[in-house]
Amino acid sequence: MTALTEAGPSWTRSADPHLGRRGELRQAWRAFRTAARLGWQTEANWADPLLFFIYSVAKPVFGALILVFMLEVISGGRADQAFRAFVVIGSALWSFVMGGIAGLAMSVLEDRERYRMLKYLYVSPNDLLVLLLGRGVARVVIGGFGAVVTLALGIIFLGVEFDVARVDWLLLVLAMGLGLVAILAMGLIMASVTMQTRQDAWQYPEAVAGALFLVVGAVFPLSVLPTIAQAAGLVTPLTWWLEAVRRALFPDIVSAIGGPGSLFAQLTGRSVPGGGESLLVLLATTAVVTLAAVATYRWSERRAKERGLFDLITGS
Amino acid sequence: MSTTGDAAPAATVRNPYVYRPTRSPADAARWDPRRVLVTNLRTISGRAYPRVIGTSREKSWLFFEIMLPFLTTSAFVFVYRALQAPPEFVGFVVLGGAMTAFWLNVMWLMAAQLYWEKDQGNLEIYFTAPMSMMSVLLGMAVGGLLMSCFRAAVVLVIGTVFYGVVFAVDQWALLLAVFFLTLASLYGLGMVLATLFLLWGREAWHMTQLLQEPVYFVSGLNFPVGRLGMLGVLAISTIPLAVGLDAMRQLAFAGSAFTQGALPPEVEVLVLLVMTVVFVGLARVLLKSIERLARQEGRLTMRGS
Repeated sequence: MTALTEAGPSWTRSADPHLGRRGELRQAWRAFRTAARLGWQTEANWADPLLFFIYSVAKPVFGALILVFMLEVISGGRADQAFRAFVVIGSALWSFVMGGIAGLAMSVLEDRERYRMLKYLYVSPNDLLVLLLGRGVARVVIGGFGAVVTLALGIIFLGVEFDVARVDWLLLVLAMGLGLVAILAMGLIMASVTMQTRQDAWQYPEAVAGALFLVVGAVFPLSVLPTIAQAAGLVTPLTWWLEAVRRALFPDIVSAIGGPGSLFAQLTGRSVPGGGESLLVLLATTAVVTLAAVATYRWSERRAKERGLFDLITGS
Repeated sequence: MSTTGDAAPAATVRNPYVYRPTRSPADAARWDPRRVLVTNLRTISGRAYPRVIGTSREKSWLFFEIMLPFLTTSAFVFVYRALQAPPEFVGFVVLGGAMTAFWLNVMWLMAAQLYWEKDQGNLEIYFTAPMSMMSVLLGMAVGGLLMSCFRAAVVLVIGTVFYGVVFAVDQWALLLAVFFLTLASLYGLGMVLATLFLLWGREAWHMTQLLQEPVYFVSGLNFPVGRLGMLGVLAISTIPLAVGLDAMRQLAFAGSAFTQGALPPEVEVLVLLVMTVVFVGLARVLLKSIERLARQEGRLTMRGS
């Protein structure tokens, strides 16, 4: 029997209800990798590489161009270099947010409404949460691709000054790591929402990302917002992620959080937050958002199971 | 030999859907114009119905598709505020934010819709039913228009009140004509894209995504399209959103030094008129062609292609 079990196919072991902690982790990792690979193929194998490249970069590049053009129209072609860099970096990084927030939610909608696989995934021995995270990661990677290209175009064509020797790599790596966790947590909240809604929720993730765009200082400093909106921005991890990544890549850049008249300056008495401070607040806000995301997801999963929403097909 | 055979006695009910005695199957297939019209009107209302009812059953759209997009529009307002731009530019953003509702409706709820219908198994029913595919698409437009109009109105009204936008309209009739012609040409374009997306298969979803930010940019959603030079001229001649927005901006902020229209609004009305005729005509030809393909080859309605 032992020999049979050992020689058996891997799925036999993965379905074993008596897995140890390590076995569970191994199984979760395998499920995550498979889901990420599937997510990548779903996203990428519909087109040839050139078309896929255009598709991946068009959204962030044109998003940045809209903002740069607004800047140029108002300044009459004599835009402040620092502000232009601020806008380009903010809109480039936003590509991660769009990919992360939409990725998980779209997986729910596509697997439920289009491929009609969600119910099967749910009853498989893997945790649906792990599978969704895997699918979401694929979109974050595509978003990251768009961010890098937008940033590169900004540096090459829009005069954004970048000195690789001045990059604070430690801050960059830590901020990106924490930021991506926060983005995926927000994506999980959106996935929980779309689990409860009908097919026409395709646009919801984009609407949420668009609303966050207002309060996180992605393309303008928070100080121009009303106090209540600034307060909302200060408790959002994305604000601190953007600030830390900006500071890591471009140490002399304008701060989105601080500055004259900002709520941050009023509360702390200091003009701009430091890199370490940004990281600490990012860590704290990410922890809160992640816990909220897991709680929301578990509630949504239970409700979807009770109401039979996993195999709901809708249309209008 | 009589083809009427033992036909049942004539029904007394005056309804185009009930049995009527005919001499032959060919005669039965020959519909009078009234019957065709009634069938197509019913198709429009029938296709609009689930969209309206679906919207009213899913209340979350009020938050996600009305409130949140207003915040997105607000973000661009604050970009201009951060740049200390003249107040007209805030008005441009609010107007552009309102018009995006229609573009999104055309792209998501019309252009991509035939592809979704295929996935859901409805498309073959549409093709076999004795109705025009244009009526089906028009029904989708009518159903989605309700939601889009509401969203546009909310963005326009709240944006105007909240950000103190002052409109200066001299020619209301022309402004309304531009608005309705923009909608007509947009929905014509939506029908053309619906057929193309159906032919392209899985790319439909990605094409919908792809045609958002680039179109917003070349249409001059937040700034006068004339500033884009040749690119703006190209957009004006091909994208209804670009020409409609440019004309509306000139008419809604009459006398402003910042509107800088690419063409006079009267000329843009003509451009929109031509676009409407061309797109609706092209949609008609393409829809007939895909209907023929579906009937002859039976491949268009296959799922998973």
